[in-house]
Amino acid sequence: MADKKQSKKAGSEAAEIRKPVGAVMVVGGGVGGIQASLELANMGYKVYLADSSPSVGGVMGMLDKTFPTNECSMCILSPKMVEVASNINIEVITLADVLSVEGEVGDMRVKLRIRPRYVDIGKCTGCGDCTAKCPVKIPDPYNAGLDTTRCIRVPFPQAVPGAAVIDPEVCRWLTKEKCGNCVKVCQAGAVDFDQKEREETFQVGMVIAAPGYRPFDAGRKTEYGYGVNQNVVTSLEFERILGANGPTQGHVVRPSDGEEVKKLAFVQCVGSRDTTVGNGYCSSVCCMYATKQALIAKEHLPGIEPTIFFIDMRAYGKDFEKYYTAAESRHGVRYVRGLISGIRERQRTKNLLLRYADEAGCTQEEEFDLVVLSIGLEAPCGLKEGLGLEVNEYGFAEADPFLPVLSSRPGVLVCGAAQEPRDIPDTVTQATAAAGIASQALHGARNTLLTRREHPPEKDVGGEEPRVGAIICRCGSNIGGFVDVPAVVEYAKELPGVVWAEERLYACSQDAQDWIRQVVEENGLNRLVVASCTPRTHQPLFRETLQSAGVNKYLFEMANIREHCSWVHMQEPENATRKAQYLVKMAVEKARRLEPLVEGESGVIPRGLVIGGGVAGMNAALNLAASGFQVYLVEKEDELGGLARNIHFNLKGEDVQAYVKELADRVEREELITAFTAHEIVDVGGFVGQFKTLIRDAEGRETLLEHGAVIVATGGGQYQPTEYLRGEDGRVLTQWELEKRIAEKDPALADVERVVMIQCVGSREEERPYCSKVCCTEAAKNALALKELSPRTEVFVLYRDVRTYGFREDIYREAREAGVVFSRFDDDVRPDVRDVAGTLQVRVPDANLAGEMVVLNTDLVVLSTGITANPDNAALAPMLKVPRNAEGFFLEAHMKLRPVDFATDGVFVCGLAHAPKSIEESVSQAAAAAARAESILSKDKIVTEGVVAVVDADKCSGCGICLQLCPFEAVTYDEEKKVAVVNTSLCKGCGTCTAACTAGASRLQGFRSDQIFEQIEAAASAWRE
Amino acid sequence: MAEESKKNDEEDIRILAFLCNWCSYAGADLAGVSRFQYPPNVLDVRVMCTGTISPYFVIKAFQEGMDGVLIAGCHIGDCHYLKGNYMTAKRFQVLREALKFLGLEEGRLRLEWVSAAEGEKYADVIRSFTEEVKALGPSPLRGKKAAKAEVGA
Amino acid sequence: MSDLKTIVKEKLAGGADAFLCLKNEEGTVLPALITDADSPDLEFVDVGESRYPLGRILIDLQREYPDKRFAVLVRGCDERALIELSKLEQIDLDRLVMVGVACSTEEAEACGCPRPYPGDIALGEKVEAAPGREVIDEVESLGDAERLGWWKEQFSRCIKCYGCRNICPMCFCKDCALENPHLVEPGVIPPDFPSFHIIRALDMTGRCIDCGLCEEACPADIPLRSLYRKMQDIMEDKLEYRAGGSVEEKNPLSFLGTEHDIEKLEQE
Ligand code: SF4
Ligand code: SF4
Ligand code: FES
Repeated sequence: MADKKQSKKAGSEAAEIRKPVGAVMVVGGGVGGIQASLELANMGYKVYLADSSPSVGGVMGMLDKTFPTNECSMCILSPKMVEVASNINIEVITLADVLSVEGEVGDMRVKLRIRPRYVDIGKCTGCGDCTAKCPVKIPDPYNAGLDTTRCIRVPFPQAVPGAAVIDPEVCRWLTKEKCGNCVKVCQAGAVDFDQKEREETFQVGMVIAAPGYRPFDAGRKTEYGYGVNQNVVTSLEFERILGANGPTQGHVVRPSDGEEVKKLAFVQCVGSRDTTVGNGYCSSVCCMYATKQALIAKEHLPGIEPTIFFIDMRAYGKDFEKYYTAAESRHGVRYVRGLISGIRERQRTKNLLLRYADEAGCTQEEEFDLVVLSIGLEAPCGLKEGLGLEVNEYGFAEADPFLPVLSSRPGVLVCGAAQEPRDIPDTVTQATAAAGIASQALHGARNTLLTRREHPPEKDVGGEEPRVGAIICRCGSNIGGFVDVPAVVEYAKELPGVVWAEERLYACSQDAQDWIRQVVEENGLNRLVVASCTPRTHQPLFRETLQSAGVNKYLFEMANIREHCSWVHMQEPENATRKAQYLVKMAVEKARRLEPLVEGESGVIPRGLVIGGGVAGMNAALNLAASGFQVYLVEKEDELGGLARNIHFNLKGEDVQAYVKELADRVEREELITAFTAHEIVDVGGFVGQFKTLIRDAEGRETLLEHGAVIVATGGGQYQPTEYLRGEDGRVLTQWELEKRIAEKDPALADVERVVMIQCVGSREEERPYCSKVCCTEAAKNALALKELSPRTEVFVLYRDVRTYGFREDIYREAREAGVVFSRFDDDVRPDVRDVAGTLQVRVPDANLAGEMVVLNTDLVVLSTGITANPDNAALAPMLKVPRNAEGFFLEAHMKLRPVDFATDGVFVCGLAHAPKSIEESVSQAAAAAARAESILSKDKIVTEGVVAVVDADKCSGCGICLQLCPFEAVTYDEEKKVAVVNTSLCKGCGTCTAACTAGASRLQGFRSDQIFEQIEAAASAWRE
Repeated sequence: MAEESKKNDEEDIRILAFLCNWCSYAGADLAGVSRFQYPPNVLDVRVMCTGTISPYFVIKAFQEGMDGVLIAGCHIGDCHYLKGNYMTAKRFQVLREALKFLGLEEGRLRLEWVSAAEGEKYADVIRSFTEEVKALGPSPLRGKKAAKAEVGA
Repeated sequence: MSDLKTIVKEKLAGGADAFLCLKNEEGTVLPALITDADSPDLEFVDVGESRYPLGRILIDLQREYPDKRFAVLVRGCDERALIELSKLEQIDLDRLVMVGVACSTEEAEACGCPRPYPGDIALGEKVEAAPGREVIDEVESLGDAERLGWWKEQFSRCIKCYGCRNICPMCFCKDCALENPHLVEPGVIPPDFPSFHIIRALDMTGRCIDCGLCEEACPADIPLRSLYRKMQDIMEDKLEYRAGGSVEEKNPLSFLGTEHDIEKLEQE
């Protein structure tokens, strides 16, 4: 990388020189761009979010589900999109391409070309009247062209902005000055054919590039007959077929005849790991998305028989392995190792004959109804031209080997798949990291360009009779397909207190929010019930909307008629409808008793605490310091460095030891960081903004640290094997021991004639059913290094799947080219290592040779040992009030969209504490965690929840039971009045105290007993109807 | 007529589930997202933590004619509020024994720990609890309010 | 052994600002607060056979006179009540002198008290008695449906006079759950089955000190004492706590405890 040194400076030093501009241009409105924008706005910067398409959302917006939780993609993305739309500090610029980027860190000028939409976003309500009257049919891009839409249309129901757009190429008016129906029919007068393409330059401090990727053009692999064979579709198309809001409403049918699919095949690695199309890399996500699609297809059509044809099953991420094994063993997804060499269509049936070489090398043929090509990810356009970035041989942005968000160009950060194929959580992590790095350069200008949202003053609804409005959401067909929504609306209308009820296709879409505001105002509603999905994801959105209508946001209640109803009673629509009605009744009854709540405020100590001084911890600390915050860094060991001290060089040959040392030096030099080595955490008290942590050194001396946020970077451990003669025979090494000897250029290595590496030692086993993610790459890397050291040395790698995802695939290929022999063994067998009269011998049935036993006499056996969770996590978790998973790694708040957050406010996680990962991934996560912490530390106050306990002093007899029941010690005793008092900024709102108060003096606001009693009564009375 | 309504009653088992927001409600969400099907006889009340669940809530539910009451929260050690569910565990023991002494069948009240990742477990719990309550039949405490409603109707 | 009158005088002389006990004026037994040795009431002070929850008066007295010291006449049950009330911040034992009286054999047997004498006995002779278990045994011999029927019949006699609550030495809530319309429908007699009585039983769990005043007060002869006693058995069995014991013991329903406690509890 040309100016790596320079780009490293991008973060901090350059910013000191002149006053930066407190705004950032984010290029690309997919999940990465959305995340970066929200973070930046939250940290106090003005954001321009430019996307070349007419709506933000990116590819994630087209996905039906996400792995490995099978969560509905749109359901988790949509609230974020709406947040983008409603954040006044984020300016969304659609149909925009970057023409040029000029200037330096802190002061950059981005020139955009903005294509005309021909619809005034400010006027369009997204009603769809124009679409109904537009005569020009076009393939619907949102549905991957599988069905049609009209030339003028809202891109998709949840689009942001939720306004229509006209395709100028086919518009009759724009091409022939004919028609103009839309202008006539639009009551809002939003259609504007006078709009012209224009160029505009934006002044910003930094640029974050998040343009995502380009799907591989499947037509290039002619042997699969994509575009010729009707029943061969791409995975993106299949995603839309699975989508309940897709062209077939989620029915798994074939394009040729609309028949239900019985035999379904997935062809993996289409356009990936394939040098013939110039893509030597692995696309990292296809194995998992194919597994997901197979599972979802089965869910939609239980009789379907999905088969996945693959080379290696790359289930390397957190919980991926469990997902994959469950798919195979419990859900009947068939996995076949084999490379598809050709697809032939049967003329009459349009069925497809797949020809493939099985592992034994024999050619097989099998017939399928539908074939899905798992297409890879290619580099997006515009990295080089518009953004001026250097790209690698595959066209992806060149990046710093340790912190990949740093591009070749200072001032331009890059995140997500534009830099390397990656999945959603990694993209979100990087986007967050990029926001943090940008802030390091710009923090001098924080809050300078910010506009603050004033909600309309809250209407005083105190003495008013409850006027409840009820919205019943169809959620496309997710609810509407199983629940008789009109019947629920009718039922709701009859409920006491309900003055208005209506249904809505997507209650969460952007235009729906405007509509809600309007109906609240028009009908004088003072309580709102939305019957849709789970309040866990959507309540904040609706509350915000309610607030913008001048109604206290706590006067809101949700009925979950999707996750808890339509989706779990899919075979019994009548019962589902009745249950939905009952749930609505319960929500309405509670809503009638809701009262406006006031939120409290509490201060923030602008200091961070980082627990763990490994690579992740040191980076987190340095990042926070670079943004101008004081940091305490607590490390258990006597010296900083952690597990990375065992790694000597990375894929690009960089010296990891030097890197670790440099980090430690920087930590030492950094005045804002106070490092406490050989200290342990004794106790953590307090809460977001005001933590108090007690630490202790070896002599038992204690120090109390006060800080506003915590970053958990406790690292991991290495599995200590006892199998394979480890510990008994000195010729059995671990991968790290070998690496050390390579790095030290141990001369003895040159004489080694044969080395056998064994993969998955301690990983993907019953006790640790996860993939350690790094060992395959590590083995390939060391094998190659051995070969370089002495080409004569024979290297065998015994593996189960080679999981060299992303650009790591290159090193796997290079290793094979250098003569390293990779030989696979089955999941249910293990190689046998023994000492035969002084000769070290490895025996293993080779899966590629139909299980034939291979016997290798060898000089060295190298074990690729897995990564384990840090046992200290067990003690730390309860102190921090955060959960761990079954394997002992910390469990983040949300697998996809909150990868470094905990559910507990103000506590974040990064590195191996979270899951096994590579160094650069740890560094990215550390930057992300620091950014998240910064979003707290950069505020002068935190607004606390309204759901807290309060004690009615008149009713309290001062028995004091509640005092000792509070896990957060939020309740104190007023000695004078002899009553209990709740400190609302400490109270977390669990209600444990309230349940003990026999007098009902202590009440949890928003969950008062009388409100719950009403819910119970509503449930009971509904049933009695 | 009486026979018929009794039969209907047997089918129409009413279960009220109190779910804590962070684990069990999320587990129920996951059951939904994963499309695990279970009987529709359960209505749920979301509370922030099972610690909020006063024994009064359960009494109220039975009083109102519920045939079964489920309390589901985070596993011990996983409570989002640390120890809220400790109190749930203790209160539950007392409550269950009290109801037993009163003569309400033990099977009508259940406490389960269901994590956010246990969608399948949630569905299983609902399935098996529904079966169990169905086998017990309508609650003997159902009568009064039901009768009242009939009079009203 | 000296008589009550002497003791009252002694205590007043020895630093107590007032003495709370009962007086018997021509057959009418009433509480009496003696503040000085010349009080005319002193003539009528009497241990007698009557029982009265003096603790309830003490709560108010101690609140009203935060720097006064009181002496009080206690039987075994009164002492248990005061100990439990002190854990509930209602009574300040530091400002209290208890003068103990042991119940007579007849009294003890008639009452069925688990411990018919206080820690320090100033008056009377210590005798033991055994609480009756007949009712509990009878109920436990029944199957579910019969039990329910049995209780239903008992509770159906309730006239909702609130006598049990009003006499209870352990009741002090300002707002009573039994008057919460969500739980107990107002104006309905007998009260909703079983919520009224089960709620009281639950609230008494870990609190009832087994004095039996409720059952004595109940005009409908509902075996309340047995019900609450069973609740204490449950409490002892599951959570290893019995109300009225030593001041040091804490009620497990009033503190969180450790993960270990809960795991143990769940294993059973
Ligand atoms: S609601 Fe929970 S956190 Fe709040 S005071 Fe009560 S016990 Fe403490
Ligand atoms: S439990 Fe109720 S009565 Fe007792 S101190 Fe707390 S609020 Fe007051
Ligand atoms: S938050 Fe789930 S039990 Fe406390």
